[in-house]
Order: sequence, then structure tokens, then C-alpha cells
Amino acid sequence: MSTRERLQTVRMRILVVMGSMAVFFSFLIVQLWQIQVVRADEFASSLDHQSIRRVRLPGVRGRIYDRNGNVLAENHPSYCIALYTEELRQRGPWARTIDHIDAVIDELSQVLALEREVDRADIQRHVQRRLPLPFLAWRGIDASAMARWAESGRVFPGVDIYVESERVYPHPTVATHLLGYVGRADTSREDENPYHYYLPEMAGRAGVERTADRRLRGRAGGKLIRVDATGFKYEEHGELEPVSGEDVYLTIDLQIQVLAENVLSNQPGAIVVMDPQNGDVLALASGPFFDRSALASQAAWQSMLKNPSRPSVNRSIAGQYPPGSIFKPLVALAGMAHDRLDANTVIPCPGYYQIGAVRFRCWLRRGHGALQLAGAIEQSCNPFFIETALRTGYPRLYHMADAVGFGRVTGIDLPGEAAGLLPDDAWKRRQWNDAWRPGDTANVSIGQGALLVTPLQMAVFASALANNGRVYRPRLFTDESPVLVQDMGWPAEQLQVVQVGMHHAIHGARGTGRRAQIPGVEMAGKTGTAQFGRDRTHAWMLLYAPYESPRYAVVVIIEDEASGGVVVGPRLRALMQAILERDGFLVPDGSEWGHAPAVRQAGEGCA
Amino acid sequence: MIKNRFLLLLQTLWHANRFMHVVIAVLLTAGVFFIYSSTYISEDAAIRPLYNRQLVWIVVGLILYIGFTVSDYRQLKRYEWAIFCGSLALLVLVLFVGRTMFGAKRWIMIYAGLGIQPSELAKLATIILLAGRLSEPGRNRRTPQELLLTLLLVALPAALILQQPDLGTAMVFLPTAFVIMFVAGVPFRYIGGLAGAGFCMVLLLLSALLLPARLGASEEMQERIASWTGLSGYQRARIEVFFNPALDPLGAGWNRRQSEIAVGSGGIRGKGYLQGTQNILGYLPRSVAPTDFIYSVIAEEKGFIGASAVLVAFAALLGMVLATALRTLDAHGRLLCVGVATFMFFHVFINVAMTVGLMPITGLPLPLLSYGGSFLMVVMSALGIVQSVYVRCDRRTSYR
Repeated sequence: MSTRERLQTVRMRILVVMGSMAVFFSFLIVQLWQIQVVRADEFASSLDHQSIRRVRLPGVRGRIYDRNGNVLAENHPSYCIALYTEELRQRGPWARTIDHIDAVIDELSQVLALEREVDRADIQRHVQRRLPLPFLAWRGIDASAMARWAESGRVFPGVDIYVESERVYPHPTVATHLLGYVGRADTSREDENPYHYYLPEMAGRAGVERTADRRLRGRAGGKLIRVDATGFKYEEHGELEPVSGEDVYLTIDLQIQVLAENVLSNQPGAIVVMDPQNGDVLALASGPFFDRSALASQAAWQSMLKNPSRPSVNRSIAGQYPPGSIFKPLVALAGMAHDRLDANTVIPCPGYYQIGAVRFRCWLRRGHGALQLAGAIEQSCNPFFIETALRTGYPRLYHMADAVGFGRVTGIDLPGEAAGLLPDDAWKRRQWNDAWRPGDTANVSIGQGALLVTPLQMAVFASALANNGRVYRPRLFTDESPVLVQDMGWPAEQLQVVQVGMHHAIHGARGTGRRAQIPGVEMAGKTGTAQFGRDRTHAWMLLYAPYESPRYAVVVIIEDEASGGVVVGPRLRALMQAILERDGFLVPDGSEWGHAPAVRQAGEGCA
Repeated sequence: MIKNRFLLLLQTLWHANRFMHVVIAVLLTAGVFFIYSSTYISEDAAIRPLYNRQLVWIVVGLILYIGFTVSDYRQLKRYEWAIFCGSLALLVLVLFVGRTMFGAKRWIMIYAGLGIQPSELAKLATIILLAGRLSEPGRNRRTPQELLLTLLLVALPAALILQQPDLGTAMVFLPTAFVIMFVAGVPFRYIGGLAGAGFCMVLLLLSALLLPARLGASEEMQERIASWTGLSGYQRARIEVFFNPALDPLGAGWNRRQSEIAVGSGGIRGKGYLQGTQNILGYLPRSVAPTDFIYSVIAEEKGFIGASAVLVAFAALLGMVLATALRTLDAHGRLLCVGVATFMFFHVFINVAMTVGLMPITGLPLPLLSYGGSFLMVVMSALGIVQSVYVRCDRRTSYR
């Protein structure tokens, strides 16, 4: 091989080396293209996945007002001492950072003169689970601690005030059942958007807070936090501003609500006040009142649940009672509607009504003698209405009661409303495997037997009596329009007989409800004393006023009291007097409950 | 007289491959910028000024580069054994007095944080020795004895480096020697045999590591078989993780995964200088970002455009080195150039391949870009030698 040829060979070999290197380099270029161009999005999303955390920010909850703009529920800022972990981090193992945070909290505890509320385990949990978020060492600190913080002059790097929102009810004991309460929202379930962290958020758990939750809550926003490889916050991006919740206006009249609750004086029972002209619910009181402080701890909650008078139940919508005599106007209307009696029909009352072997007693043992309809209502005679019901026939009575809405929920915007019970033949066969008998009709005609109603249903009925038979759905939010569920179409002359009877019940000399009488104002009402169990009674009264142009339909029940007329009458009188004085129908006379309570106006603060 | 020497120096530099000067300067400058980018966010006061120190290394490196360019590479023939033995001695020394970092003794500390890596020096020493020996006119390169002796010479430093242990660096020796021998004219049958043997060894190694687990052998059995390979635990973990990235994404697989995410999320245009989130947020570990993973930082911040530009620059540099080999008529110079090109190629290829997920993680720095004094000295010297060959291959000019 010549030198020249050898040089050729060597050059060939160098070219081979060069070529192979070029091939290898092109591998690299191809792979770079693959990763950086073809699969770039995939890697960008892995980057985001590992370094970006989403935080859900709740919207500020809306306020709840009464119909006159008084605040019933609002939010107050609650100040917290927050430690920003990314500024407190220490090099080295986690324990050093935790120790440091621990030490800072100790120092703060001295400066602020506050007991420590968190321990090392809490810090550790925070570091493990919610590292990019501030750690709240104290929540809801008071003004003096805030002042000490401001005055201390000490500089604590990485420590700052953090403002949380807290639900506040300016009248903490008023309308507690109606308004309900909020709890910590369980946002993780309902949300399809994957958030890594949730900031505390309120969700309505009962009452209006619950039914209007969607409106009150607003729309949650979110922000993005970029975290570094150790999990500390590096930077923040706002992603979506939260939208504050709507304010909600209730048809409730705070003054009437307060009056009603005063009248109820925390006894087990309920008062419903409605506007008969449109179904507005003006007051919805339930006793005993529900204390929100029971929500503070598990123990308090349990003891409240064990309380035999069951303060957590909203009796005005969920209490089911036999109506007793206040059901009688419906029997009278059903009888007249089917021409089984009129204003002049006379039915004698010997003090009892005999069906077969069973004797139904009248409350007046000696009997009312011969009565016409108006007098029977005034004196609440049992035999008169038993006879009327039997003449009419139960299916017709049932039909009218069903049309008014008994046995069904009224549809008020509150959770937990009860339907009551309007029994019929089918029900009895199901329940007792027995046919409907005249005795059953007799029982229902005087509001006893299996019949159960809620105070709200009675209030709807009272409204219908006051406004010519129009049945409204109880309205709770002022921005909804009134819903006329049913126009009963009671002929005016028939209805008037009942109304006159109810007027006499208040104003007549022998009226069962005369204790509710207020000089100077015409009202119509009906008392009821409903038996339950053995020889125990609930005291009922329904009433509307003023008689000529009714503005208020009121139903009161007090559990386990002897007589509607005696027990409820005076209280109803006090309630109506205060309401009517406020409205200018009456001149104040300074009686027992005679003054409308001073109610804080909207905008005034209340801790 | 002094003035004359200075002029001569300038003249030599002028006649050297000027385009190579430019490419080297560009890469060095880019290196400083991206070392800064990968360290400026660090909280560690020892890491932040690295770019400053790299500037000092560059000055020293440039002196070496110029020094080797102007001096005649043929002089190396005289010192090749001395250099080789010296570097072997240092390799032995490092095993005794070396400072242990990341579980390996690689550094001989000279003065306050300044250290040298004898293994880097050994690479160049071996290239110089092989180039000298295989280009001796009288030597018959076709005998098996000669081949064996050559292999032995390469195996010696490689074995010593394995003791540190530093598998990546040791691995560079064999292919470099292989390519030098190939160009030196060692017959195909030997070359082929050698390549085959190397291939079989890698295959055996991998199957010892991976097959037992696939075949369902017990943990003990796997451990026993794996220990025959002589690899340490972390080396095995890196290799296993390469073939099965889901094995340990937060441990041994972390760097590979994070580097891939850094490169991939860079996209076409990159996130911009100093904007590499992987690096800023510390997902790309800050201790290795300026050294072994400098390429991920470049790829993340400058995207496909920047990353491929770096590859093009290296291709141009290697092309120029090999072109020098083609151009020179002197076998010694040719082999030196081939050796330098091969060794640099392996560094570039393995480093980039591991950053983009084509190869297991091995701690090989990227020439001219990665932070690191010893390696920069070696690379600058090697490139100086190439320039020296370049200057002297042209018969129209004669320097000494």
C-alpha cells in the first residue's frame, strides 16, 4: 500500500467518524424536536401540574334584610394573625422551619398577651397539607390584641394580619329558625373544578341561609399559586375574582317578628303572621328559640338535641298538630257550598252528639241549645259541626280541605316543611285496615282524629277566610311575585256568615275569643283547643284584622295549654294591639306589651 | 526581541483556525450567562458567584489555549509518558487524599475550595499517549500484542477512575481509544471484535441489572446478580430508572424527569433568559443546574431554537477539529485531533442525551458551557493542541 493510498484510507476512516458523529447529533436534534416541539404541551402541563396549586376563594356572602331594610344577617371582618411560611422557612430539615414557626408563635403570644391556640402538631399538619397558604395562629382576635399588635413596634417578618369573614346576626335571638345558620362549606364534593386548597367558606345549613344559599353565596373565584420544589409559595397569580353573593330581602317584618317572639315568650309553640292580600309572611316565630351558640361545640349540639322541648324544630312550618275548633269554618263553608245548610239552618245542641254507641261531647256539657251557623262559630259548638259534616258527606269536606292545601306542604321557601295529614278512606284502609266511618267524619269536623295541620297551613287558611277565598303560596322573598295557588270561589254571602261568626267569636258576649278583644278595632277570629294524648290540649287561635279590610292574618299555637280562648286570647290581643298601634290603627294605651320594641335600623353595627 | 515574540504569537493566532476562536468564544460566553441564570436565584452564597469564578477559569483556560496553540504539538511526544504517568499518580493520590463529594472521591483540594479533578486530566493524557504511540513510524499496529498493550494503557486510568467511583468518566476512555485506533489503521477485524466485545459487555451488564426483576427472581437473587456488575447502588438505580422511569420519580428518577420537563416546557422559543421556571423553582436541583444540567437550563430558557443552536455550534467545532485531522499530513497530529474530537463528542452527546432523556444520568459536564475548572482547563488545552496542529499542517508556513 502506498503512502498515498494509506492516506486515502485514513481520510476515509476520519470521514466515517465524522459521519457517525453527524448521525448521533441528528438523533439529538430529532429528540429535541420531539420533546420541545411535538410534546411541548405535555411537558408544559407536567410543569404546571407539579408547580401550580389552585386555591378556591369564596365570594363574600350576601346580607339578609327584612322587608323594611333592617339587617338580619351580615358579615363582619374577623382578624387573624397569619404566619407566611415561605418567609419563615429555614434551611435544612423541615423540623427547623417548624421549630422557627413555633418560636415565633411563642414570641407573638407574649407580645399580644394571647394564649396559644395552636400547637406544634397543628404547625406540622399545616406544613404538610397547606404549605403555600398562610398559617393562622389566632383567629378572631379582639380589639385589644389588635391594639397591642399595632403598638408593640416589634417587627415580625413573615407575620401579618389576615382578614376572614364571619357571619353575624345583629339580633341574635330573633328569627333563629327562620334565618337558620351557616356552617363550613364542604366544597370539595360539589365542585367539578379541581382545586388543591379551599379557603374557609360558609354554606347555609338551615332556614333562609340554606334555601337562599345559592344566591347568598355568590360565585367562588380562584387564584393560582406557583410553588417551588419544596412546596413553598413562590408567587401568586389572580385567576378569577370571586363574586360577592346577592343580598336577600325577606317579606318578614322585623318588628312584628320580635313582637310575636315576645308574645310567645319562649314557650313551645308558634306564631305565623301573614298578609292575606298577597301571602307575604310577616312573622314566623317558633318557640323555644334556637340558640346558635349550640353550634359552637359538639357537646352543646348534642345537649340541644336531647332537650325535650326540641328547640331545633321550626314549629311554625314543621310542627304538626290537630287543629281542633279552628278547623270548623271550613266545615261550615263545605256545608254551605253543597246546600246542606244556610245562615238560618237551626241545629240543636244537647251537649253531645250520638253516633251509634259513641257519644261526642260538646265542650259545654249542658249544651248550647238551638243554634244557627254564626252562633255556632261564635260559641264553637261541636254537635252543630258534626251534624253539618255528616250532612255534607266526608268526600266533599275532604275535597274542600284538600283544595285549601291541607295535607300538603304550602311550598314556602324553607327546608323541612311538614305536610300535615288530611285523612281519607284510602288512608284509613292503609293505616288501620278499616273503612271510613261516620265517627271519623265527626272527629275531623271538629279538627280531631287523624287530622294534622301546621301553623303555616292554618295561616294560609286564615288568609283565605280574610280575602274571599284566595289561597296564596306563603311568600318569603320580596323579589318573588305572589303566587295564587287556588281561588276557592266561596260565594260572598256564605263566606260572610262565617266571617260574622268569627267576628262574634271576638266581639260577641259569648264569644270564645273575647279575651282578644281590643277596643276600637274590629277583628275576626276563632279559638281552638285541640286534644292530644289523654286529656292534654294545644291552645290555638286564628285571627284576622282589621275586620273590614284585613291586613294581618295571624295564627297562634301554644303547645300543651288548656284553652285557646283563655291562654292565647290575651297574648294575641297584646300582639295585635302593638301591631295596630304601630300602624296607626290604634292610639297607644300603655298596656302590658303595648309598645312596639325599638328595633335597630339597618346599618347600625352590632357585635 | 520580546516584541518580536509577541508579534509571532499574534501571527500564530491569526494563522490558526479563526472560526474556531469565534465558536469557542461564543460557547464560553453563553456558558457564563447561563451559569448566572442557573444560580442567581439560589439562596446558597457559595453557589451564586459561580459565574464569576467561571470567568477566572476562562482566563486561565485561554492562557492554556494560547500556550498550546503557539507551542509545537510535536513536543508532546517527548513528554507523553511523563504526562501519562503524572496523571496516573494523581489518580492514585485522589483515592487517598481525595475529598468525598456526592459519595465519590474525585477531587484533590489544593487551596480553599479550589480543587482539581485528576480524572479530567487523565483523559487528555491518555489521548496524548495513544496518539503518540499509534503514530510512531516503526510500530506495527497490526499485531494483537500491540493492540493488547494499547488497551491495557487505556484500561489503567479507566480502572483507577472506576475506583472513585465515576462510571461516566471511565466510560469515555474506551470509545475514545477505540476511535483513535480505528483512525490509526488498526485492522477491521480487531476493531470489529473490540466493538462486539464492548457491545456484549453493555448487554451483559444491563441484563444482569434488569432481567432478574423481569423474570421474577427474589430480591436477594436480584441483589446478588446485580452486585456482580461491580456497580454501586446509585449507579444501578440510575440505570434501572432510565429503563423504568416510573420506578422512583421522586428519588433516582427525579433529575431525569425534571430535566425532561425543563427541556420540554421550553417549547420552540423558550421562556426567556432568567425565566426558566424549573430552575427558578428548584425542581432542577440547583447544585447540578450550572454543571451537568446547564443544557436543560439553556433548553428551557431559549427553547428549541437555542438548544439546537448550541448543538450546531458543537457540530461546527467538532467538524473543524476533524477537518484539521483531515488536513494534516502528520499522523501524530491527526490522531491528536481525532482523539480530542472523539472525547469532546462523547461529552456533548452523553450530556445532551441525558438531559433530553435518551440516556441514563451520568455526571458528564458539557464542554465549554458547564461550570467546572478542571474540565475547562482540559478542554481548552485540548483545543489549543488542535490549533497547534492546524497551524503546523500548512506547509507554506513553518513554525520552528
